[in-house]
Amino acid sequence: MARLRFGFVVIAIVLSVFGVRLVQLQGIDPKAYAAMAAREGSEEVVLPAERGAITDRNGVELATSVDGLMLVADPQMTHDDAAAIATYLADELDLDYFQTLTRLREEDTHFVYLARRVPSTIANRVLGELEDRGYKGLSVRRDPMRDYPNRDVAANLVGFLGEDEALGGLERTFDHLLSGTDGKATYEVGGGNRIPLGDSTTVKPRNGSDLNLTIDRDVQWYVQRVLRATVRGAGGDSGVAVVMDTRTGELLSLADYPTFDAKNPLLSPKADLGSRAMSDVYEPGSVEKVLTAASLIDAGKVTPRTHIKVPPYLSRPGAAPIRDHWDHDMLRYTLAGVISRSSNIGTVLAARKFTADQLYGYLRTFGLGQRTNIGVRGETAGLLADPSLWTQVNQDTIAFGQGVSVNAVQMAAAVNTIANGGVRVDPSLVRGTATTDDGTEVGTGVATQHRVISTRAARQTMLMMELVTDVDDGVAPGAAVPGYRVAGKTGTAQRAGKDGGYDGTFTVSFAGFAPADKPRFTVYVVVQNPRNGGGGGSVAGPAFSKIMSYLLRRYGVPPTGTRPSTYPVEW
Amino acid sequence: MSTPLPHSRVRVQRIAEAAVERARLTVVPRVRARSPRVPFVTLVSLLLVGGVVGLLMFNTTMQQNAFAATELEQHASDLTSREQTLRMQLEVLRDPQVVAEKARALGMVDAGAPAFLKADGSVEGVAVPATVENKVPILPPAVKKPEALDPKPIIVFEKPGKEQKADAKTKKKSDTDRTSHRDGDRERRMSGTRTNSGDRSTR
Repeated sequence: MARLRFGFVVIAIVLSVFGVRLVQLQGIDPKAYAAMAAREGSEEVVLPAERGAITDRNGVELATSVDGLMLVADPQMTHDDAAAIATYLADELDLDYFQTLTRLREEDTHFVYLARRVPSTIANRVLGELEDRGYKGLSVRRDPMRDYPNRDVAANLVGFLGEDEALGGLERTFDHLLSGTDGKATYEVGGGNRIPLGDSTTVKPRNGSDLNLTIDRDVQWYVQRVLRATVRGAGGDSGVAVVMDTRTGELLSLADYPTFDAKNPLLSPKADLGSRAMSDVYEPGSVEKVLTAASLIDAGKVTPRTHIKVPPYLSRPGAAPIRDHWDHDMLRYTLAGVISRSSNIGTVLAARKFTADQLYGYLRTFGLGQRTNIGVRGETAGLLADPSLWTQVNQDTIAFGQGVSVNAVQMAAAVNTIANGGVRVDPSLVRGTATTDDGTEVGTGVATQHRVISTRAARQTMLMMELVTDVDDGVAPGAAVPGYRVAGKTGTAQRAGKDGGYDGTFTVSFAGFAPADKPRFTVYVVVQNPRNGGGGGSVAGPAFSKIMSYLLRRYGVPPTGTRPSTYPVEW
Repeated sequence: MSTPLPHSRVRVQRIAEAAVERARLTVVPRVRARSPRVPFVTLVSLLLVGGVVGLLMFNTTMQQNAFAATELEQHASDLTSREQTLRMQLEVLRDPQVVAEKARALGMVDAGAPAFLKADGSVEGVAVPATVENKVPILPPAVKKPEALDPKPIIVFEKPGKEQKADAKTKKKSDTDRTSHRDGDRERRMSGTRTNSGDRSTR
């Protein structure tokens, strides 16, 4: 009996110990233990969202995400073999030998980066080879890469990514749209393999959306090459070329020079990393005359045949007299002659039929002084002062494009209005609609149009512009495209220097469209500060001709075969 | 178990003892139906063993599948990255810059303006022949090297006396055709690199 009792007591003691332990485990903070247990055998993996691509209008990828890996090392394990590993990596991955060596021997750490953003096939091959040779302490981790297969093509627009964040261009403007949201998966593992019936949870990643541009990659490439040759040939500082689809306002190309290689953006000066086409303000010069003339015709103040007596110079109270770009005696020009020969004096005389408010109203509806909001960062609104501040001197110079500042896309859209029969279409760079990080909706989906001048006024202006490329009557025969009717206008504007006054340098440009009587494309070429003494006709004109000829050829636009403009230029 | 009532027994005895005697009921010895044990034990054992083995096999298969899944996932990601690498290579080949450079190397030039043949047989537009003159430079300007890396060519004027000596040397050399050819080649190549060192776009 005593033995039995003793046994019961022992069992009771043991059971109560179990009971206390049970209460301790389950009653007091059971979650911590559950989590500890889960951590022991479970693995959490970030399922990275794939960053959306940036594509051109045909779906060609201008920026795309590629699976990449980073090569990392534990210096405590690689310390002894550092020299051999560094030699191999320097050969295979073009790493700096001494830097790699130092990293492989770093003390007090178990983690160093050796190479980042290595294509995964290469990284795995290198790691496999190093492991075969018996070196330990190296591993790879996921490191998504961004690839820009076309290097400098559209680089100024697309922008680039830094190590971990978007640093410029559309990559940054649409970062939120492109990047998506990472997901994660948690599952139990044993010996590197997932345990089949173990707990697992998966939060699927939401991939970033693609951004589809209106740019045509091949056109963009050609335009950039022509622009580079033009700017370098003229000894200019920089240049911009805009190609716009006349009817839809879609930008087929928006080229900048100098540009940069998107694969190595940091090799280029910081000033070249943005888009000058959007951020540079300059005075458009004589290209603006067509806007003045079109407005005057629309308001019924003049016709292309209006007779204008052009004196050698036009004196102004309290300012230097206005002169033309060539010396002449008294000339008897029609308005068409004033445009085709690009006479400042003639334009001023015609524009004096306007009040300041009228001219301002027209220029404003042409889109001057307002951002185009096509989705490029750092766009300038240009400068069109309020008419209450205008003096007669201001109005005179604004009439021929000095004292008013624009960005290149603004100006291209304004000239495109004349090509498009007097209706201004908002320029757009994004196909469909996309929302920028600051919440603005941009793209063809939200582009609007409004009538600025009558169809008749637009047509008459076009016929005057056609004379500009005429061999006899015009100042820019170099801008003509053989076989096609081309309408255009040159611009040679004085540039404002740092102190606000004109510094003796020029902005030369050419804007035009073809085929003149049924326009398909509007092209605008601007070169800043050419040092070869060239003007809009001789520098930007031939570039315009090359680009336009290429466009008409590429898109198979036949000549219209109609008779060219017959406006008289003199009387 | 039945026990006949005593009074009926008495009466029957009285009526026909012999018949009764014949028909007398006796208790049949109870036969216990013993079902054989072996099949049942076998069945249970089989079930047990089958269950255990089945479970084991099921688990093993699951494990095998897990291994296979991991391996296949690895394989899939390898293939994905390989596809991406190939795609990247393809993109490089498709790059308009590369295409243009290759076309130039083949001696192709930029197209001139085209003419259009209409359905009625008339020709629209002015066809401009493609010539070398209208080509657009496609190569980036060469990087400006520091003076030390790009020294000016050293021009040496030889004295007339020496020249004759040199002439004699060449004559001697011209006997062995091969050597002189190779020298000439090298000279040409060297002069080529000189002129190109300035601006690659002028090529």
